[in-house]
Amino acid sequence: MLVLSRKIGEVITIGSTVKITVLGYNRGVVRLGIEAPKSIPVHRKEVYDKIIEINRLAAKTEIEKLKDAMKNNPVKINKNIKDNLSNQTIVSSKEKENSEKNKEGE
Amino acid sequence: MGLEKVKEKRIIKTLQFGVLEIEPHHIFYFENGILGFEDLHEFVLIADEDTLPFKWLISIENPEIGFPLLSPWHLDLMYDPGPEFDLEKQVLMVIVTLEDENKQMTANMKAPIVFDVENQKGWQTILMNDKYSTNFVIPKKTKQE
Repeated sequence: MLVLSRKIGEVITIGSTVKITVLGYNRGVVRLGIEAPKSIPVHRKEVYDKIIEINRLAAKTEIEKLKDAMKNNPVKINKNIKDNLSNQTIVSSKEKENSEKNKEGE
Repeated sequence: MGLEKVKEKRIIKTLQFGVLEIEPHHIFYFENGILGFEDLHEFVLIADEDTLPFKWLISIENPEIGFPLLSPWHLDLMYDPGPEFDLEKQVLMVIVTLEDENKQMTANMKAPIVFDVENQKGWQTILMNDKYSTNFVIPKKTKQE
């Protein structure tokens, strides 16, 4: 890791587009000002880590669990919201029976 | 590979949704994957009639990976991701976690999945504003409802 010492008001540049200014220091908290083009997302690392954690948790959701949750503990969801993705969406329901049979056969 | 379009229909077997016949126009290409799943690039959306209005974002490369999605407007009619999104051309959906660490059903309103319908591309973005939470609790219906 590259370690640099900076005083308040001094700047670090990363590439030609990112500038980080040390704005202040108070009670163990450093305030930084970050200038970066929109194409470079800047976030607190905890947010990033949290999203990865949530994604990993959600990625293996079982459809049966969602069905149970919807039946036993229905959630309040606004009605008649269209997502305009119907042409891109694959509708599943009919082919499922076959796969369940295959599963049993395995 | 990658952006090069595959013309033929593809068939994948999934445990949860059975056999899926995927046409080229169904596929969304995620150049950077999804956070935590950077090596997965091709996804399809599934609507299962038993779980509507939820949709599922399923990885073609690893069909065991699938995210339940809702529209953020299903949860908040005032949801406003910011001016950088062209909602005429881009569709935003949020990932739902059935049970978070507090055993609640939550949605990640802070990091929606963006679908560029015309170009069949997708990515997960993190909103800059602090208005939206990564674990928005989806309210339960009360008995009267």
